[in-house]
Amino acid sequence: MDHDPFRWGRPRDDIYGKYDYSIANSEHYFQEHKDKYSEFPRMNTQEPIVTGTSVIGIKFEDGIIMAADNLGSYGSLSRFTDIERLIEFNDKTVVGISGDISDLQKIERLLEELKIESSYDDVNIEFQADNIHKYLRNVLYSRRNKMDPLWNSLIVGGIGSDNEPFLKYVDLLGVEYASPALSTGFGNYLAIPILRKFLEEKGIDETKTDSDNFRNIKEEEARKCVLECMKVLFYRDARSLNKFSIVTISKKNGIKLEKNLKIEDMSWEFAKDIKGYGNGQRY
Amino acid sequence: MAGLSFENYQRNQFLSSKGYAVPKATSTGTTIVGCKFNGGVVIAADTRATAGPIVADKNCEKLHRIAPHIWCAGAGTAADTEMVTQLISSNIELHSLYTNREPRVCTALTLLKQHLFKYSGHIGAYLIVAGTDPTGSHLFSIHAHGSTDIGYYQTLGSGSLAAMSVFESRWKLDLTKEEAMKLCSDAIQAGIWNDLGSGSNVDLCVMEAGKDAVLHRNYLTPNVRSQKANNYIFNRGATVVLKEKTIYSKLELVSEEVIISTPEERPEAMEVDA
Amino acid sequence: MSSDYSNIKDSAPIEHRFNPYSDNGGTILGIAGEDFAVLAGDTRHTTGYSINSRYEPKVFDVGDNIIMSANGFSADGNSLITNFKTNLQWYHFNNNEEKLKISSAARLIQHLLYGKRFFPYYVHTIIAGLDENGKGAVYSFDPVGSYEREQCRAGGAAASLIMPFLDNQVNFKNQANQPLRYLSLNEVLSLVKDAFSSATERHIHVGDYLEILIVTKEGVRTELYPLKRD
Repeated sequence: MDHDPFRWGRPRDDIYGKYDYSIANSEHYFQEHKDKYSEFPRMNTQEPIVTGTSVIGIKFEDGIIMAADNLGSYGSLSRFTDIERLIEFNDKTVVGISGDISDLQKIERLLEELKIESSYDDVNIEFQADNIHKYLRNVLYSRRNKMDPLWNSLIVGGIGSDNEPFLKYVDLLGVEYASPALSTGFGNYLAIPILRKFLEEKGIDETKTDSDNFRNIKEEEARKCVLECMKVLFYRDARSLNKFSIVTISKKNGIKLEKNLKIEDMSWEFAKDIKGYGNGQRY
Repeated sequence: MAGLSFENYQRNQFLSSKGYAVPKATSTGTTIVGCKFNGGVVIAADTRATAGPIVADKNCEKLHRIAPHIWCAGAGTAADTEMVTQLISSNIELHSLYTNREPRVCTALTLLKQHLFKYSGHIGAYLIVAGTDPTGSHLFSIHAHGSTDIGYYQTLGSGSLAAMSVFESRWKLDLTKEEAMKLCSDAIQAGIWNDLGSGSNVDLCVMEAGKDAVLHRNYLTPNVRSQKANNYIFNRGATVVLKEKTIYSKLELVSEEVIISTPEERPEAMEVDA
Repeated sequence: MSSDYSNIKDSAPIEHRFNPYSDNGGTILGIAGEDFAVLAGDTRHTTGYSINSRYEPKVFDVGDNIIMSANGFSADGNSLITNFKTNLQWYHFNNNEEKLKISSAARLIQHLLYGKRFFPYYVHTIIAGLDENGKGAVYSFDPVGSYEREQCRAGGAAASLIMPFLDNQVNFKNQANQPLRYLSLNEVLSLVKDAFSSATERHIHVGDYLEILIVTKEGVRTELYPLKRD
């Protein structure tokens, strides 16, 4: 690897030879652009580097609850343990982000920019959760069209333009969908079954979005269910952390972001009785 | 000769480069689980078999008997789980006859893992093995490469995470038989509803120490097909006859025999005391 | 070293780059009647072996008595429908609110699709409505804009399961002594329900709910039915 700060990370020509453009069938590209660009092809994000794992969300009586842990993983290394992945946009909108953390920070800055541009005295726009979702969806879809994606999956939650609880997903491809229970990443496999069972027991009709449909779900019950999911995720998702944040947005009480929560009531008692892997090992 | 032979590796590479790829066996998306309780062990499975996105069988059996008290749930390549279970079942029976002892679960486990390891993952069988023997009740899982695992509860297959979410949030020590059966069927249902590779019904098998294993085939049937709106019976003559040809000559009567049967005189009717 | 290198270079290229497409499952079905047309779709939204949402509608009333669905990669499907609606609004602005004919809508969609000929919208598109004579009309499109007016068409994941059933039951193919005739709305609706409940039985990406949009000269109305959820 070349450690020259201006060529950092590239293969050294004196060791590996000149970059061979025929590998990627990009000879023509090089010929056309060699005077304009550096001789190295432009590189877009091809894989996420520092990553955040699942975000989960669920609707209740008059609002939504979302949760995400505070870990930033660098491959299998738990590199950062204080990453806040629930982004407050205003008192009606929160964006939960998983995936690449540098792209998360880019999205954070885009949202800040949007907030500033919309807050001049003569503009006077008040964004609702569904507006923010549509904005981010268009950002992510146009970046995928440029083959230069923002490597994230997001859940936008809050109160929508119809003054009803809003919860919707969007990802790096621009794929979007809504559901009373949503999750990104590993939570799709581990948390969603728990959340859907909870909703089913509460008699929720997923084809209706009005808050009357959710009147059976009290905030405290929904919160308990989300805490349960975070525990299961910590048990089984190897890229998760036992430190997390929860955000609640309700029509009555507005936004409440709780940070530095710890997973409680874990049970590892049974582990001491499990020995070996099958054929009578003693330890 | 010890070890594995790789003599056909180059030939196979060459063939696949010429477009003769190894045919892909049908892999089943599946949810299978197992759970111990006080005095025994339960295993369960869904009953959907898939070939890509198509449901190949809506009510297949994924619970296999290895020995009367040792049962096994299989995920992965359908043919492999079936054949490897039959093979080990035979070997367990022979071993049991030879040693004149009840077969043990750990024997089945060792035979299975050694067989699978030998084929370094090419036999795509992912199994949950459970049963009772003179040493107690046992629950294991085996992966296709031959690694094994032990625990109070196990899940495998494409719905394993959905099923595991049930165990991780509701499992506790010292379950009763009924609690374990409920937990296993709920875990399978988590797979049925949330994992597209799993579906249809719940099969369940209870193995209790000192008792015969009980297979509950279609323990739950939560996915009965709804009544169709139309019936699709074609009118006679809907299929055009393009050509007619008779390929036998007229049948000739050779002999005639009349058999009179009266239902009252059936000899196999059971004698009930009057 | 150099021979290793040329081995890598000459072997088939290994794809290690961003894949801009995915498949979100679901299936759609359009049938034209004498004075009506229906376009139905299930509401299951999937990626891989997961259900993302059990109710994510994909058949829309896009205005001017036209219903539309673009099934396949849902991000492209949503964009195509949004673009169509925008174009329709511009058409109204420029033409004194004149109603867009369904044949013209079809031609517009061809251009929207072909405009991305070398980075296609990965969708199977179907629109339904009434033609200038008040007869039911269904148009279906391939991902790059080739289109045709048809009596019926299934699209998406279970298209290959439903289409032969439609050939037999709508166009009476392989049924001798069955004269071609228009089906009544009730006949069409029962065929649609049976097509979807059967596709749900055998295709893992189809299920949850069936949403049927019906166009008549009175306008567009919607019916919703449950499907199996496993």
